[in-house]
Amino acid sequence: MRGRLWFRRAFATLPVLVVLVLFCSGTALAAEGSGSGLDPIVPNGKSPNGHHIWQLYLLVSIPALFIFLLVEGLLITVLIKFRRKKLPKGYKPPQWHGHRGLEVLWTVIPALILIVIGSASFITLQNDYTAQASNNPDIDIAVTGHQYGWKFKYPEGFTVDSEGLTPTPMVIPTSKLVRLKLNSTDVIHGFWVPDLTGKTDLVPGYENVTWVKVSQPGEWRGECTELCGTGHYTMQLRVKAVSQSDYAAFVQKSLADQAKSKSSPSPRAPGAAPAAPAGSPPASPSAGPTTR
Amino acid sequence: MANVLAPPRPKSYDDTFFKPVSLWLTTTDHKLIGIMYMTTGMLAFVLGGILALVMRIQLAQPNLKVIDAETYNQLLSAHGTTMIFFFVTIFMTGIANYFVPLMIGARDMAFPRVNLFGFWLIPISIAIYYTGFFTGGALDAGWTGYPPLTTKQFNPGLGVDLWAASIILWCVSGIMASVNFLTTIVALRAPGMGFSRLPLFVWAQICTSLLLLAVGAPLAAALFLLELDRQAGTSFFVSNGGRPVLFQHLFWFFGHPEVYVLILPGFGMVSEIIPVFARKPIFGYTSMVGALFSIVFLSMAVWGHHMLTVGMNIYVETWFMVMTMLIAIPTGIKFFNWIATAWGGSIDFQIPMKYVFGFLATFLIGGITGVYLSSVPVNTQVHQSYYVVAHFHYVMVGGSVFTLLAGTQYWFPKITGRMLNKTLGEWSFWLFFIGFNGTFLVMHTLGLEGMPRRIYSYPGGFGEEGWGATNMFITVFSFVIAASVLVFIYNLVVSWKYGEPAGDDPWGGNTLEWATTSPPPPYNFEKVPVVRSFMPLRDMREDGLRPSLASPE
Ligand code: HEM
Ligand SMILES: [Cu+2]
Ligand SMILES: [Cu+2]
Repeated sequence: MRGRLWFRRAFATLPVLVVLVLFCSGTALAAEGSGSGLDPIVPNGKSPNGHHIWQLYLLVSIPALFIFLLVEGLLITVLIKFRRKKLPKGYKPPQWHGHRGLEVLWTVIPALILIVIGSASFITLQNDYTAQASNNPDIDIAVTGHQYGWKFKYPEGFTVDSEGLTPTPMVIPTSKLVRLKLNSTDVIHGFWVPDLTGKTDLVPGYENVTWVKVSQPGEWRGECTELCGTGHYTMQLRVKAVSQSDYAAFVQKSLADQAKSKSSPSPRAPGAAPAAPAGSPPASPSAGPTTR
Repeated sequence: MANVLAPPRPKSYDDTFFKPVSLWLTTTDHKLIGIMYMTTGMLAFVLGGILALVMRIQLAQPNLKVIDAETYNQLLSAHGTTMIFFFVTIFMTGIANYFVPLMIGARDMAFPRVNLFGFWLIPISIAIYYTGFFTGGALDAGWTGYPPLTTKQFNPGLGVDLWAASIILWCVSGIMASVNFLTTIVALRAPGMGFSRLPLFVWAQICTSLLLLAVGAPLAAALFLLELDRQAGTSFFVSNGGRPVLFQHLFWFFGHPEVYVLILPGFGMVSEIIPVFARKPIFGYTSMVGALFSIVFLSMAVWGHHMLTVGMNIYVETWFMVMTMLIAIPTGIKFFNWIATAWGGSIDFQIPMKYVFGFLATFLIGGITGVYLSSVPVNTQVHQSYYVVAHFHYVMVGGSVFTLLAGTQYWFPKITGRMLNKTLGEWSFWLFFIGFNGTFLVMHTLGLEGMPRRIYSYPGGFGEEGWGATNMFITVFSFVIAASVLVFIYNLVVSWKYGEPAGDDPWGGNTLEWATTSPPPPYNFEKVPVVRSFMPLRDMREDGLRPSLASPE
């Protein structure tokens, strides 16, 4: 019998504990940031579109937490107040069959909440997710996915190859609108750098577009997000934002490296010949999109 | 039931339970077929669970090499397929097979032989899928099997073909079962059981069957087209000239309704169990039925929310977002109606009721994360990450599995004539509740930090410093789930043999299945029951009638 009692107690308190753990860990870890494995909110994107996602996440969280607390609270109240053992002997439960007013209430209130969330999401969608959002990019980088790695083709005419668990970063300049044109040569891949912004798929057959604009220098991790074969987990991704002068230096160095590997038939670049630059485009950053 | 062609049935189960085997293979009795469905589902649960544990061991720490990457992908795909197609759907079909005819006062399903045939397609389907492991590798592209990864060019092995064959067969079986349920419910109801007096579990089964009937064929079609690509060189989905994304549309046109196929029967069970243990009628019967039907229709208009990163037009995306958000409304109605049913009741927290409250407490979290996921911009952050893995396990385990365990606890006495052991019941419930939340709660945070789903391993270095500890925590708790499932199954087996006798109506039920003996005789009811409300058994009790309709003394 004593065992039973213990179970009853635990049954009433456990949901409370779950709620407490959720929220204590939530608030305590909110400050900790990425890497802890316990971050309770979406990263605050370093790019404006990512930042807007973070804002939306917070907006959704207000009604979400409210509903969560309300419903779990009601459940706990039922658990405590209406157990037969606690009620007076001859208690006869009221035989309600429904209540029009209440039923309308819990149809309309959620609807209103959803209208707010939906509208805010739609506004963000229109601002950040259309072609207009990145119509006038400062730089266009063509990102091509393949089993298992990435190619970043810069407007200046060189291509960076990135593969493996410690990949070569995609270098971008700070404070410039960088448009990414995404495509794949084989199966579907996904481009995701959580600390910058949301993900976009790389689908063979058509081009997807996304963009980033980062204000401070830094380096962030990412990864392919569509299962693309045995080596999928090795398809790691790095994006590195550098100051504009550093970026210019990076471009110069990459161009020089490319020229060197093309002129000297080094064993490391046997496939360089077919990609002969029939008049490589001048290094003008706002040059039109590179053809695929 | 005026089925002249019906094969002879045993007079009683006393001499047929467990013997002879030939009866089990050839019976057309809906109850025995129901038990076979449930047994198959339970075995699939154990199998899928073992696969999950192996995956969890592999993920416990960064850079482990317990299994290789190819094996991981195969286990992942088999786990998803097994849990969705072979466990939850099949187990739910089993419960419905057993109880829909009883609840409507019928003697069997409308098409007993179709019922038997439909059941036997399932073990065959499972066997075909698992043959892949012995013929050079099973499906390794996730349970969704997106092309181009599953086209011949990138996946020449037999595994994909076996998967397609297995699932097409499954669709055929599901369509047969759906037609059977719908016909049974429309044609074989007891006198007085109008549609406004159907138990909500039966309403839920109507909706489930309508859904599976509508979306089973498109899935079969998608897999058929994929096979044409693979075998006949067509190019529906291939990367050169085909439209890989078209497959996703077809797949998710099935895939989203499928999650409601998994959960609606559970909703039905909860709507039956709460009134019985709270001693109150269901709150808002009509709005419960209305909510079920709005879920049926809306769930076929939301499939694109699984594809919000493939680059659709933003207005199309907005449509899917709005439809998805709309589904939250009927789900909310059901939730509040359940709480209102319990509110003011005199609640006896027997084990089935604990599972129901476990369901309410956890499924809520899955519902709320669903609203986050429906917001398109937020979706692009959390899609295909562990956040989604957490979300759908909260929905499918917190929802479907909790309810089907509740249903098993609730109806076991009727099926076997014996009560489940209470102490073991407490242990299995608490281990499951704690293990489940321990396993899946922190998966949300891993996903928010950028851990993608379907990865074999993670470096654990730059930006991932804390992932190892969190993953270890998850793996430890997944073994708590395993322990709870062992206790649960042990309880089933032991109580079936040695449990206390249950009597006809151990809980004070409301619906007709409690009016007959436990287990019910082969013909279910001696007298045809008469119904004058949606709680016929309660009416009989209140009229002071002896409820048993099985043995007229
Ligand atoms: C009982 C304990 C369970 C554990 C420990 C567990 C664990 C896991 C793990 C580790 C994954 C792989 C995540 C990844 O690599 O992306 C996974 C995926 C999945 N699980 Fe479970 N799971 C359990 C039960 C279930 C149940 C009951 C269902 C369904 C009703 C289910 C459905 C799925 C699905 C659909 C996937 C996705 C497979 C895919 O990505 O193709 N799981 N689960
Ligand atoms: Cu990839
Ligand atoms: Cu869906």
